[in-house]
Amino acid sequence: MPRPEAKTITFTIDGREVQAPENMMLVDAAKLGDVEIPVFCYEPKLGNPVGACRMCLVEIEGIPKLQTGCSTPVKDGMVVNTQSERVKIAQESVVEFLLVNHPLDCPVCDKGGECPLQDITFGWGPGKTRFVEEKRHFVKPLALSEKIAIDRERCILCYRCVRYSQEVAEDYQLVLLERGAHSYVSTFDGNPYEAPFSGNIVELCPVGALTSRDYRFRARPWDVEDSGSVCTLCAAQCNVSLTVRDERVLRVLARDHAEVDDGWLCDRGRFAYPSLGEDRITHPLIRDGGELRAVSWERALDEAATRLKRAGAQTGALVGGGATNEEGFLLGRLLREGLDSPNIDSRVAGTLPLELHRALGEPGLQAKVSDLEFAHAVLALECDLVPDAAILDLRLRKGVRRHGMKLVRASLADLLERPAELVAKLKEAGPADGASAEIVVLWGERLTTGPDGARAAQALLDLAGTLGIADTDNAGLLEIPAQSNGRGLREAGALPNAGPGLSSVDEDGLDARAIAQALSKGELSCLYLLGADPLTGAADELDRELWGRALANATTVISHAMFLTDAIREHADIVFPAGAYPEKEGTVVHPDGRIQRLRPAVAKPGESRAEWQVIADVTARVGLDLDVLTGGMASQQLFDAVPQYSGLTLEEIGGKGVRPQERATAVAS
Amino acid sequence: MTEALLFKDIDEPGLATLDVYAKRGGYESLRKALASTPEDVLAQLEASGLRGRGGAGFAMGKKVSFLPKGTIDKYLVCNADESEPGTFKDRELMQKSPHMLIEGLIIASYAAGASRSFIYIRGEYVHQADVLDAALAEATAAGYIGENILGSGHSLSLVVHRGAGAYICGEETGLLDSLEGKRGNPRLKPPFPANQGLYQGPTLINNVETLATVPAIIRMGGEKYAELGTETSKGTKLVSVSGHVQRPGNYEIELGTPSREIIYGLAGGPPEGREVKCWFPGGSSSPVLKQEDLDLPYDFEAMAKAGSMLGSGAIIVVDDSTPILDVALKVAKFYRHESCGKCTPCREGTTWTVKMLERIDAGTATPMDIEIMASVQEHIIGNCLCVLGDAMAMPIGSMIAKFRDEFEEHIEAARIRNGLGAGALEPALATGVTG
Repeated sequence: MPRPEAKTITFTIDGREVQAPENMMLVDAAKLGDVEIPVFCYEPKLGNPVGACRMCLVEIEGIPKLQTGCSTPVKDGMVVNTQSERVKIAQESVVEFLLVNHPLDCPVCDKGGECPLQDITFGWGPGKTRFVEEKRHFVKPLALSEKIAIDRERCILCYRCVRYSQEVAEDYQLVLLERGAHSYVSTFDGNPYEAPFSGNIVELCPVGALTSRDYRFRARPWDVEDSGSVCTLCAAQCNVSLTVRDERVLRVLARDHAEVDDGWLCDRGRFAYPSLGEDRITHPLIRDGGELRAVSWERALDEAATRLKRAGAQTGALVGGGATNEEGFLLGRLLREGLDSPNIDSRVAGTLPLELHRALGEPGLQAKVSDLEFAHAVLALECDLVPDAAILDLRLRKGVRRHGMKLVRASLADLLERPAELVAKLKEAGPADGASAEIVVLWGERLTTGPDGARAAQALLDLAGTLGIADTDNAGLLEIPAQSNGRGLREAGALPNAGPGLSSVDEDGLDARAIAQALSKGELSCLYLLGADPLTGAADELDRELWGRALANATTVISHAMFLTDAIREHADIVFPAGAYPEKEGTVVHPDGRIQRLRPAVAKPGESRAEWQVIADVTARVGLDLDVLTGGMASQQLFDAVPQYSGLTLEEIGGKGVRPQERATAVAS
Repeated sequence: MTEALLFKDIDEPGLATLDVYAKRGGYESLRKALASTPEDVLAQLEASGLRGRGGAGFAMGKKVSFLPKGTIDKYLVCNADESEPGTFKDRELMQKSPHMLIEGLIIASYAAGASRSFIYIRGEYVHQADVLDAALAEATAAGYIGENILGSGHSLSLVVHRGAGAYICGEETGLLDSLEGKRGNPRLKPPFPANQGLYQGPTLINNVETLATVPAIIRMGGEKYAELGTETSKGTKLVSVSGHVQRPGNYEIELGTPSREIIYGLAGGPPEGREVKCWFPGGSSSPVLKQEDLDLPYDFEAMAKAGSMLGSGAIIVVDDSTPILDVALKVAKFYRHESCGKCTPCREGTTWTVKMLERIDAGTATPMDIEIMASVQEHIIGNCLCVLGDAMAMPIGSMIAKFRDEFEEHIEAARIRNGLGAGALEPALATGVTG
């Protein structure tokens, strides 16, 4: 679908000539001329402007009444005045009106210090109040949900949260009840606001009316520091800003990346952080007399190295989805170079033939996230987005609602048995002039993990061929891996049949399932778990039983773990404390190929050490020097080893990430 | 006074039935219109100079011509949410002569090329809605509503939709939202309903009286109709006279008739021994006029020139027995209650104004509050999303401007009554106690 393109026009604002894209809303165009027009209700992410708060009134030559800058598209030759006496009076009066019913409890309000109403009152308000009557009262605060508190007295009725619920999350739960100054935000039925993306309203609220109950009264803005990172709790890898006070994450906010999350977060990403800090393993542990006991790092590393050396090629390794590329890469080196074992996997349910991995990862076939929004049609194949990559669910809703994208859902059976029907349905959505349709196939990794995995992968490639995806701009495949860094770990070589960059290996190793079988049969003796728990991560009940036997039968289980889960408590012999994502450094790969950077926001708890360091130390004791002394060196080794990362630096990845295929064209041009 | 057009047979028994309406020439205009082209009908409407009777006074023919041409689905919506205090003309029209509205609506839909129409009637008009439903059933049975009306090729569906009792749903975009099943809040304009109205489609919205005038225009011819009234205010107008008059009710007048003739001549003026203190010429949202304005001709231009407006044609007369504060409070409370709450100046400004007026009565106001109140009205006017805020601010502003002395006297009297008057303060000052 054609993306919006606008010609550049020139307009005048406060006497300055400014160039801006035609039809950009005046409040945005003004910024291009360094003019700020204050707003409350305007938020382009919520759809069309509503012009409700009236804060953005400006004077436009030739129009008698003041106009709302949020809803006035800028035109060539437009002359705008934001500094006239008339505008000043209008702005002051709107602030005065807003404060008529807004309590001045800023000293005890969570929003105080980061509050648009405070800022705008300071910048554009009248400076004094003439209102001496009593303000309206509500019972407060009330729990809008388990996570969100609502203070209706502070609400300035800007409609943002209601519009979000209606037009972005489409959960249709929030409404305004009653009328006039008695209006208040509520759920339609009075029940708690329960939805997978409810927390975004806290960030949208321009006052302290909606606050996070977890964050309530925990800090003031001047007590905290913000630290940018990437949430690795699911494959969507949203960009987050972590609010940190005294080495603790107190809040997670969106860091707005149009190609990743569109500025939204899911509730898991936003509210799970307290659990990342509780009940953690903080010291190395060794099983001693049937019990796991805390030991020194030296002892744990020596013991691990001794046992690994003993097992040698009879070692298998599983890499969990929260591991960084560097961790997966270094573990691959430990196994392949240090122990001469090819048995490493990051796919719980087994691998695919290498040529299929390569074909599916072909750069020309990869869609990017914004393609989901502008495609003529999106085929969602065996994926359940809310659990798998939540934030993409909102992107699909946006595509359907705002751009008329056609969404087709299909299963493995549809792909294998009725591909022609799928093609017909998708092509229908294409342009009437017969030009090729831009189609994105969003597919879940589980499509290719069952007994028909290879067949399904081939069918998917055939479908892509029939749809002409490789030859169409803005079309492509987008895989939702079962684990959050599934794509990165594969590219880093955490596969039994591929090395870094999906390179060929001399000898194919055992995949995850085969490792379990070999362990239970005694063909392998040692299992190395890097942030993986094969029991909780098992694909199904049979898989779980198989892993139960494998763990029980393994001579040695070495694990990097954050928590003492059943598998670890009962079966691990050596446990290294593992880091949560706010503590980690390194890189991960988004499903669309974007390499993103994790940056540590808080210190590791207790005696925890970085995984890359632990792996390097163990490997050194096994007899191989990995030459990794810093996290940056680990990244550099990875970039050197993976062909498509060649020449990359952490600085280049920066806060927004880099897609190798775009980088190639950028360098070429 | 020339012959009445809308109220010609209004008291004829059974006029609400198709039978009697047809005997009085009903639906002849429809036949005449359908026999000519939509362009000709539109030309007649434009030639008539008919201005919208709902309040804004926009030229009806021009409004029709704003709709995009072509075969795209278009909507016609009749605004029967008559809720402006003092206005009750549409009620009588719909109750007694529903077919006149339906006939006008069909003709207008033909001119506009609209194929779906709605009458949005205020919820409290239960009886009138029942009458309309019955008339609609008759009109449908007679083939005036439905497919291929009278063999003309023009088709029209009509639904009578009852509102749920909100003044704001008489605002055209609030009405559209309500009709779509949403909370009735005004929309941002542009886009205007002519381009994106009901269900995002082009929509023509007209008041009951406007549409009911259409059959007369077609019968007489646009130019003939334009001979009635004044240069800029053509035709006849229904006027609802209420308040302190001896014969309140609806009257059909030719536009330009002297206001005194309506208030004193038709409605009998205030009761014996009382004087007109002020009057609202166009519903409670119009700025008040005083006795000296009674000789102005009652038309759009003259009312605007006097600083007010003809509005919906609802004259409310207030005589000298009523304190101006009571009038202001009544008006302000109405708009506070009806403000939808979507935009800031209206929501907060109406509430604040009521609170200030109540303080005057409670005796806790000072003359400074009059300044604040006047400035609050100025801050509302022109800054709101729709005109509801202005609808309070304009009359209140006019009352403050024209009856300032009375407000000040009221403040002082109430303060003394409450022991807060200037005299009462003296002992406190003498002892040095402040605050």
